[in-house]
Amino acid sequence: MINNSIFIHPATYFILGAVLLPFLKRFKLLQKIIMIIIPLLAFYQINYLPDTFGVCEYMGFKLIFGKVDKLTYVFLHVFTLMAVIGNVYGLHVKETGQRMAGLLYVAGSLGVTLAGDYLTLFIFWELMAFASVFLVWYRKKKQSIQAGYRYLLVHTAGGLILLGGIFLRYQNIHDLSFTQIAVNGATFADYLIMIGFMLNAAVPPIHAWLPDAYPEATVTGAVFMCAFTTKTAVYVLARAFPGFEALAILGAIMTLYGVGYAVIENDARRILAYHIVSQVGYMVCGIGIGTAMAINGTCAHAYAHILYKALLFMGAGAVLEMTGRSKLSELGGLYKYMPLTLIFTVIGGISISGFPFTSGFISKSMIIAAAGEHHRLGLMIMMTLAAVGTFLSVGIKLPYFIWFGKDSGVKAQDPPWNMLLGMFIAGFMCFFLGVYPEYLYRMLPYDVAYHPYTMYHLSETLQILGFTGLGFYFMVKYLKPEAHANLDVDWFYRKGALVFMWLASKPIGIANEWVGNVYKTVGLRFTMAVAKALSWFDWEGIDWVIDGSARGVVNGGDQMRGFQTGKVQHYIGGAVVVLSIVLIVVVLL
Amino acid sequence: MMARLFTYLRDHSQVLKWLFYVFLALAIAFDFFAERHQPHFWGDGIVGFWSMFGILGCLGMIILCKGLSHVWLMKDEDYYDK
Repeated sequence: MINNSIFIHPATYFILGAVLLPFLKRFKLLQKIIMIIIPLLAFYQINYLPDTFGVCEYMGFKLIFGKVDKLTYVFLHVFTLMAVIGNVYGLHVKETGQRMAGLLYVAGSLGVTLAGDYLTLFIFWELMAFASVFLVWYRKKKQSIQAGYRYLLVHTAGGLILLGGIFLRYQNIHDLSFTQIAVNGATFADYLIMIGFMLNAAVPPIHAWLPDAYPEATVTGAVFMCAFTTKTAVYVLARAFPGFEALAILGAIMTLYGVGYAVIENDARRILAYHIVSQVGYMVCGIGIGTAMAINGTCAHAYAHILYKALLFMGAGAVLEMTGRSKLSELGGLYKYMPLTLIFTVIGGISISGFPFTSGFISKSMIIAAAGEHHRLGLMIMMTLAAVGTFLSVGIKLPYFIWFGKDSGVKAQDPPWNMLLGMFIAGFMCFFLGVYPEYLYRMLPYDVAYHPYTMYHLSETLQILGFTGLGFYFMVKYLKPEAHANLDVDWFYRKGALVFMWLASKPIGIANEWVGNVYKTVGLRFTMAVAKALSWFDWEGIDWVIDGSARGVVNGGDQMRGFQTGKVQHYIGGAVVVLSIVLIVVVLL
Repeated sequence: MMARLFTYLRDHSQVLKWLFYVFLALAIAFDFFAERHQPHFWGDGIVGFWSMFGILGCLGMIILCKGLSHVWLMKDEDYYDK
């Protein structure tokens, strides 16, 4: 019985919460309590999941809403923990819609993680994309609206590629179960699925949506987004495509690509967004290497990364919330006004750089060591070089130019208690995992034989970090942030769209006008004659039959107009809510 | 309180600088004694290899990235709106 209850699925709580919130608009306190209770409940619930649950037949397809093993568990654990932290941090958010989007987004992510077949996976995959775009739109600035549309278009395209792969796969083998794909047996369909996954993991050259949209999201929205989309993609890649060489190489390239942009970018949250590309690169590379140690490293790094990257986004978000600025060139000297935020952000910075006794030290090194043991010298050197760039860009540059550097004259104070508490929990976890790695290692899919705290690993880390710091000290005046944007591959579709608009307005517009003129002179007379004849027939023959129903249609149309606000956001929001309700109904029946 | 601590440290940046140099020297000294259980490649055998890697990697990355930005990637902030 219990296996068929929808309350076994942790995403249910989030969806129900999202449906409930708008009815509680007047009870802000109750809303806040719900926002905390739901992720806590899910965090507790995931410990009691059966191996398989929520299996149902739908139109001849076998849907599996829940399939749990150790790989699933470690991701569920960090996703629900992150939902707790994110909701604490976002407790002060006023818009109910933004809260709903956050909850549905987490629900989508949990749904993907638990999905046992491709159809279920796809439904939750799209729920994620459509819920998360609202976290960008709720910033309500012109750039955010535009970036949100680009984000949505790119993800819709990625979703279609994924769906195409799923259809082809079904045609080939009549099986939609979501399991590991053998390296030698992979077909075109499987590679389409892989591309769909890689788009969400922000693998270059299909990564540009991430640094485009995340910096434009709301303060809380960016904290959620940095945790869920890419790491859900890492999970599905680790589930389906371990050992694919393409992932190993692309992953190593990613680590350097992202960090390279992080060195030159100016907007604090764009630096962090590019740095997600770099960090996810380690995970993608680990999946590509595919050994037990590498997969363990990928999971450990995903876990650690979610916490410290969220911490960094919370720190940069707090600065944006309190000062209204996020560009390094407009910030500086904040150490007097926001010292606690500085401390928390630096904790995130040293964790991501892999200082001893922080979570980065015990997770990132596992993937690099796995590359070394697999005799992949090139990958190992690339990832270690990216670690140098990580400390340079996120560990030193970002905090230095926000809190020290030149005094910008900006006066602010530390953010409200709930934002500080969110940062405190994440910061605590960074140290906790670094000091007590067994807590994390126990959750990993394979037995861990790796010991991070060896003399040599300590020596290597201290040297790399120390001398990177020296490099920064020498070059600090060349690293001064500049108020400029940097080109990336989104150039192709952002400028490409302009070309398309020009084509539409100029040559096609002219042709359209010419056709219009021809029609006016020749066609119109003919049409008028036909209309006259038809109108006679209408008047004499049909009218008395139709009249009654016509009035009904007009009335219906008026009512319909009431629902239509003309904003695509509202339509999509409505569609997401309806989709969620349909989902619940399907599972219930 | 925190703010005053940071201000104090900032006023004594010369001391911090020397402490940092001492730390770097100690990091290299530590490498003489670190046991190498499973060297992955030749670099693991050289004392101070990762120090060189850190400083050269850092300088190289700054020069390359800043250079690429200045000669090619850098555009005005309203580039896409024009």
